[in-house]
Amino acid sequence: MVATEKKSVTPAGSSLLAAALLLPGLMHLAQAESPPEQSELSFKFLSYQDSQPGLERIKVSSPSLGLVTRLGDHWSVSAQATHDAISGASPRYHSAISSASQMHEERNAYELGATRYFERASLSLGVNGSKEHDYRSQGLSLEGKLASEDNNSTWSLGVSHSDDTINPVNLVVVDAKKRTTSWMLGLTQVWTSRDVLQLNLGYTTGSGYFSDPYKIVDNRPDSRDQRTLYLAWNHYVDAAQAALRTSYRYYNDSWGIKAHTLNLEWAQKLAPALSLTPSLRYTTQSAVSFYYNPTYDPVLGAPFPVGYSFGNGQILSPDQRLSAFGAITLGLKADWQFNKDMSFNLALDRYQQRASWRFGGGGSPGLADFNALMIQTGLDWKF
Amino acid sequence: MAQAWTDCHIPFKAMASTCELRLLAPDAAQGQAWAELAIAEVRRIEQKYSRYRPDSVVSGINAAAGGAAVECDEETLALLNYANSVYLLSEGRFDISSGVLRRAWDFKAKQLPEPELLQSLCALVDWRRVERDGRSVRLPQAGMELDFGGFGKEYAADRAAAVLHAAGARHGFVNLGGDLHALGPQADGSPWLIAIQDPRRPEALAAEIELCSGGLATSGDYERFFELDGQRFCHLLNARTGWPVQHWRSVSVAAPLCIAAGSCSSIAMLAEDEGLQHLQGSGLRYLAIDAEGKHHHA
Repeated sequence: MVATEKKSVTPAGSSLLAAALLLPGLMHLAQAESPPEQSELSFKFLSYQDSQPGLERIKVSSPSLGLVTRLGDHWSVSAQATHDAISGASPRYHSAISSASQMHEERNAYELGATRYFERASLSLGVNGSKEHDYRSQGLSLEGKLASEDNNSTWSLGVSHSDDTINPVNLVVVDAKKRTTSWMLGLTQVWTSRDVLQLNLGYTTGSGYFSDPYKIVDNRPDSRDQRTLYLAWNHYVDAAQAALRTSYRYYNDSWGIKAHTLNLEWAQKLAPALSLTPSLRYTTQSAVSFYYNPTYDPVLGAPFPVGYSFGNGQILSPDQRLSAFGAITLGLKADWQFNKDMSFNLALDRYQQRASWRFGGGGSPGLADFNALMIQTGLDWKF
Repeated sequence: MAQAWTDCHIPFKAMASTCELRLLAPDAAQGQAWAELAIAEVRRIEQKYSRYRPDSVVSGINAAAGGAAVECDEETLALLNYANSVYLLSEGRFDISSGVLRRAWDFKAKQLPEPELLQSLCALVDWRRVERDGRSVRLPQAGMELDFGGFGKEYAADRAAAVLHAAGARHGFVNLGGDLHALGPQADGSPWLIAIQDPRRPEALAAEIELCSGGLATSGDYERFFELDGQRFCHLLNARTGWPVQHWRSVSVAAPLCIAAGSCSSIAMLAEDEGLQHLQGSGLRYLAIDAEGKHHHA
């Protein structure tokens, strides 16, 4: 009857909503940012164990308790407390010698936050702090979010600052300070009903004491600027009832590290209440300019680099995390929703770092393999 | 923080439809007071925009067709702007000047219109000819008509919900003859279950849709229709040809606002075989039932 020729269709959905929101008195009915309807109590337990061949290194167990609750129509407040117990052998220089002196440390941390919600925006203010016997940190953060009229785009801008004081037991330094300020700009864009894109830019500038006071030959620059670019694409696959999450992160800093990280996750719904998410992450990075390889001075021996002279203030570090390497993390996470108010999750991550896995070669030579296992369990309860 | 709620069902008639308010209120008196505010808002919109009332804004604009421009208030201008957006987004399929075509279609007599009559009426349909200048609107030709019926009920559902929200109601929904706006979920946080009528069996249900908040609207070929020689002629008319659309028995859409849901479902019905592309690209939840009874949803 009505012959319609085939042509491309411009879907009207989100534009319709944008047009409808211009009608009088309806804007606030379709809020992008709204306080949580229910309060939420969560308990998490993180267990971390890293190892090198022949040596179990650091073990961390870290329970944390969090609460988010609504306060009136426009506010929510949150609080979180974490206790870390760290034990194990103190870090090796590179990985060539083992001093294996045992250490045990405890760390307590808290975070308090308040969020004010507006029609299409929210503003959050947070304070946080942590304390261990040789390290204290205090921080402040501010984040604003703004959604477009059609709710398809959300911008965020955040700034945070932290003041740290370091008092190592060996008195290498006393009341050493470290101050860092971070900026973050983000855009989350709903592309189609099945695709969400995200872009984040981060910049951190810090000054003060960055060295590891317990490493004899570790003297790092007293400032560090860090830049990150993060791109993510989440795609929902109808046929499989699964979500594919992909992301790429580029990082560089003023110490000379350039790092690329690719992350892939497949969140698969297995039953209405159960989902399983395997993940794969690959990171490749270059070393800082002042990293030295485990080749030691023939007279002084380890951990002193060839030609090392005391007291000349040379910038140097043997820290394996600052070397050139590639790393792969394999993960598996299970989420189980008991009922609509209670859920449980369990995540396992196995991290493996190898100099030879650096993309294009050129990993730092002479380092033992480095592995870590993280197990995290969490329980969320809404009430 | 559990609170005892009184579950209030308040049925009423408006806009030639069976309507209902479902509100969780601290007590029955509060529920009744809220309901009165919401019903007053629905009646206000009905009086202001009904084409059946000679004193309505729409009747005033239509009566002046071919004559002087009519000055409009903010709300009417906003609705005309919305109508313009929907016209553009639907590539001219959704046209609020197409109401005159109904004169050709007599659903009671079950007769096909005279081709000449339909042709002459089609000449009166063209939103682009409507002159809008600042605060005034003018229909350039006598006989032209505007009709807000394509989104009036949905707009009233949103506005009633806005009134209820402003008064403090947070749980419940407004249902104006199947066009819904939910203020918020049930007391325990679970969604309302809204049944979608089977488009061929009035006593049966085609599906259930969960709705926590926002709008839900359904357009169908079963509201007003007649059948002739085995073919169904429904009240949704192609604005260009003047003939009833086919392809979909009904289209239901959920969106943050009922008016957006309603326009999206109407556009899908009017777009016929391209309707599914509109729905898929909309990013909204929908249930479309095609001429064979097959369900398409997201």
